[in-house]
Amino acid sequence: MSDRNDLSKYAGLFEDIRAADIMTANVTVIPPEKKISHAKEMMNIKRISGLPVVDETRHLIGIVTVEDIIHALEFNRLGEPIRNMMTRDVITVGVNDRLTDIVSKFQAYRFGRFPVVDADNVLRGIISRKDILNGVLEKFNLIYVHDQKRISTLNSEFSFITGERLTVGDAEFHYNIDTTDIGSAGVGAVMLKTFLADKRYPAEIIRRIGVAVYEAETNVIIHSRGTGDIYCFLQGDLIMVRVVDNGIGIEDMDMAMKEGYSTAPDYVRELGFGAGMGIPNIKRFVDKLVILSEKNVGTQVEMILYLPIEASAPATPGTLTKN
Amino acid sequence: MTVRDVAKLLEAEVLSGEDKLDIEVKHGGAADMMSDILALCGPNQLVLTGYIHPQVIRTALVTELLGLVFVRCKNIPPETIKMARQHNILMLQTRLFMFSSCGILYAAGLRGVDER
Repeated sequence: MSDRNDLSKYAGLFEDIRAADIMTANVTVIPPEKKISHAKEMMNIKRISGLPVVDETRHLIGIVTVEDIIHALEFNRLGEPIRNMMTRDVITVGVNDRLTDIVSKFQAYRFGRFPVVDADNVLRGIISRKDILNGVLEKFNLIYVHDQKRISTLNSEFSFITGERLTVGDAEFHYNIDTTDIGSAGVGAVMLKTFLADKRYPAEIIRRIGVAVYEAETNVIIHSRGTGDIYCFLQGDLIMVRVVDNGIGIEDMDMAMKEGYSTAPDYVRELGFGAGMGIPNIKRFVDKLVILSEKNVGTQVEMILYLPIEASAPATPGTLTKN
Repeated sequence: MTVRDVAKLLEAEVLSGEDKLDIEVKHGGAADMMSDILALCGPNQLVLTGYIHPQVIRTALVTELLGLVFVRCKNIPPETIKMARQHNILMLQTRLFMFSSCGILYAAGLRGVDER
């Protein structure tokens, strides 16, 4: 294929690029004791063609690919654990491997991607042709202007809206989003609603938060390819919710804010989402919204809802202790 | 009209939320996209949908709908019904198509969520 030739032609120009610089660090992985059918489901949901298999300490022990799934389907073995069917001899790339070595590996093997491991065979990332191309382009500053300031603000302890210090440990509500299970979209939103209902917040506020958080949570599951969290801070006259993930970021924020624009693939549409209404819906239901996103670092959605004046201090013990 | 009237008009089967049959319903909507339901529908409303994945129940829960009418009698996954029962969400199922179902209910006096 011609792209292979192109890759080797330019590889020499980028001697100092290492695997760690261009790999995708957030890898979807699967433990060996899960069933093949589970791997099939995950590959379908995430639209990927191979899943690294890791043990509890993230040591790479195999890979399950589309071929393995086809094999399992053919012999009716979808119910068996992955360890029975996975490919054990995995061709890997080292975190410190140079671009030239990586390119030769792509030429030597027909695989679309290679797991990246450190000296102890612990999985650190995954590298595809696209990552190489992006790495090279980034070097040229063609597609992305790196902005260090955005990375530092993305993980800041301050609210972008109110400027107040917010330590996630102080959040009154926390929910870890299970990004491996698309069926779980909305579980965090429902739990947050229950939490706020227990604190006797006004029903209309709870409903608006529920919808906004549901959309944000679904976005993390569908798009981020990372892991995510929902935090809720109760601050007297306002409720602030932060939905954060460490995923791939939003490429084009202006477009993401437009109704009807979506990057979601067909399978997401089959799940009833992907109408391009996610962020517009969040905007519709909250009073203030700030979205910060950095490519390959993550996305943070911060939303605020102000309580009606008469309801600014819910009469439940516990909510006022922080003030 | 009451939910019972809706069920009768659509010759619908009640799959969950039997205790809600006497509740009065004035407004309804029809959507297959979750974001449309989230954006446009709300408490005490009935939503007609062809979308049968369990996700729709969670959407109904977040939006605080009165309930859902599943049109065109598809094979609703047992998880969807189970989740609806678990949260006591009203769930009707009719063999009528979306267009006919909406028309019948509108003719009988149910109004759209945009007509509130």
